[in-house]
Amino acid sequence: MKVLVTGAGGFLGRNVVERLLAHGYTDIRCFLRSRDKAEQLQALAEPYPGAQLELCYGNLRSKTDCEDAVEGVSLVLHLAAGLKGAAAEMFADSVVVSRNLLEALEMREGMPMEKTRVVLVSSFGVYGVAHLGRRARINEKSPLEDHPELRDTYSHSKLRQEQLFWDYQKKAGFELVVLRPGVIYGPGGGAFSNRVGLQIGPVFFHLGGSNLLPMSFAVNCAEAIVLAASHPDAAGQVYNVHDDDLPTASRYLREYKKHVRRIRSIRLPYFAMRMLARFLEAYHRRSQGQLPDIITLYKVATAWGGNTFDNTKLHALGWRQLVATPDAMAQTFEYLRRQNAKQ
Amino acid sequence: MSLKIAIVGCGKIADAHIGEIRKIPSVQLCAVCDLEPIMAEQLAVRYAVPRWYCDLTRLLEVEKPDVLHITTPPQSHLSLTRQAVAAGCHIFLEKPVALRHSDAEAIIATAVRAGRKLAVNYWPRFEAPALELRRLYETGVLGNPVHVESYIGYDLGGEFGLALRRDPEHWVHQLPGKLFQNVMDHVLNKITPFLDDQQPFIKAIAWRGKAGAGELLDELRVIIQGARTSAYATFCAHARPVGQTLRVYGTKNTAHADFAARTVVLERKQGFPSALGRLFPPFLTAKDYLGQGLKNVNSFSHAHFHFFEGMRRLLSEFYLSIEKDSPPPIPYEEILRVSAMMERIFRQVYPEVEA
Repeated sequence: MKVLVTGAGGFLGRNVVERLLAHGYTDIRCFLRSRDKAEQLQALAEPYPGAQLELCYGNLRSKTDCEDAVEGVSLVLHLAAGLKGAAAEMFADSVVVSRNLLEALEMREGMPMEKTRVVLVSSFGVYGVAHLGRRARINEKSPLEDHPELRDTYSHSKLRQEQLFWDYQKKAGFELVVLRPGVIYGPGGGAFSNRVGLQIGPVFFHLGGSNLLPMSFAVNCAEAIVLAASHPDAAGQVYNVHDDDLPTASRYLREYKKHVRRIRSIRLPYFAMRMLARFLEAYHRRSQGQLPDIITLYKVATAWGGNTFDNTKLHALGWRQLVATPDAMAQTFEYLRRQNAKQ
Repeated sequence: MSLKIAIVGCGKIADAHIGEIRKIPSVQLCAVCDLEPIMAEQLAVRYAVPRWYCDLTRLLEVEKPDVLHITTPPQSHLSLTRQAVAAGCHIFLEKPVALRHSDAEAIIATAVRAGRKLAVNYWPRFEAPALELRRLYETGVLGNPVHVESYIGYDLGGEFGLALRRDPEHWVHQLPGKLFQNVMDHVLNKITPFLDDQQPFIKAIAWRGKAGAGELLDELRVIIQGARTSAYATFCAHARPVGQTLRVYGTKNTAHADFAARTVVLERKQGFPSALGRLFPPFLTAKDYLGQGLKNVNSFSHAHFHFFEGMRRLLSEFYLSIEKDSPPPIPYEEILRVSAMMERIFRQVYPEVEA
């Protein structure tokens, strides 16, 4: 079985390729935007003598590159997405490229669609949690966001991307599996999710407090993706992906300070954050956007309202956390400490 | 009567256009359009624009806008202008105007022939520092301009820089002047009001500022010599901080405008003798900066300190020129002078493209 991994050179992508190899996949096409990560990827395959990594370079914005990418594959793991940049760029890199990929799949000849499985790596950001109340439990049946325009562009574009996949699935009849990871972390990733807080100038505003963080260590997340890609019962299903022993935002920040570096942080309780958001929102309206609306009541309720999380469905598929949270955090902080020392 | 506005091209810069259009109470944005339906839809949803299209012909037929903002890459500007002007629209065009000077001439001729108005988004010219500098010049405070230095910094790690570095097919790479063509309007259009010569001498050099940063040339220096005024135009991708300045050396005084800090400081002829003449200037300059800082605080408190404040001002003047049937805010000959100078510069730094 030939497998296509888009975004294979990214932080999560490299872990997914490694887990695919560990699960015995031997024919993997890695779609990459640049050649920078080629050596790293090839090194992953060295312990697996029977495995073959085909590195395919291009840009999914190009329909021709998409056609080349999907040629002969029966399993597609779509990880590529716009993570930063202007809103238009993020929509182009998450939604337009997804449409190109799906169209290329649909156009193929000689590959039956019902025997093709597509795995989309979506995001927790697609849930609409602002109205659920604090401590609400988030599972796969939680409502999707119905006001994406009030959210950050990443969440908005991921929601649109997921809708697009379900629309094409209905039309084309391929098997679709959707995974919604929480905050993916690990060596190669960033230090802080917004759920912990925001760095504004020299000060880190700690906003998460005692909220649980839906963290997913990259190796554990990759394991979930590969497992869902392989499992016959996963077709047509959605899975939330996060680890079992979730840290609170306070614990994560405390350990970061202990193991990586001292940073100046100010704890802002939820009620204070709401007051600040109310003021900033009113000012944003009155001043016609002189300061950006990065902190609104809606965004505060979404990011820092505090939810609990449920990965029962993923466990039912047979998923087990490969790296325990204390080890995962230790590995991540060691990486961040070394990065910090380099700078 | 409220002008009906539409936008074609739903990329990054369209966000800025919508942001400023919405601040002008006398106009209404009726629709957006992009060949790529996902891009048109996302812009309409994010800004609650009533309707979106992926066919401009249909938009023009149904919406009948008074003004079309063209925010597509410059490769399509001429054909879109022709189509929109034929449908009776006035045109607000994103820079760069066109691929070549001859296309820029054709674009303006199209609008003029049909009795429609056109403006190009030279928004920094309408920022407070540029207006203040022009006032100093027009009121004679500077005297006659002897030399002008226009500088622009560029961050290749920024949103747009990253987008074009990651995508070898990006439309900027298809321009005859590549990265420079997308930016040099803003450098040159600040010089042209002070330049007396229609056909100045131009010498341009360009190079890659950092090894391993790809094939893109990212440093450009231009020397311009008119009959009585000379100028330096600089595009710099590697100096920090990323700034934007304009310095005008006059026969009476010299003025320095900083567009990032929004300040204009006058360097006056010294009247004090000997060592005293070296003692006082820093205090006079500090006083100027204090005054500028307070002015900025005042602008901020009145919510006139937005990033694209100059674009709002330019749009307001453009829409007003349509309503009053008065001359557009940027003279067409200025647009063409900039376009002609750009073409001469790109011929020197990318001779192979011209060949």
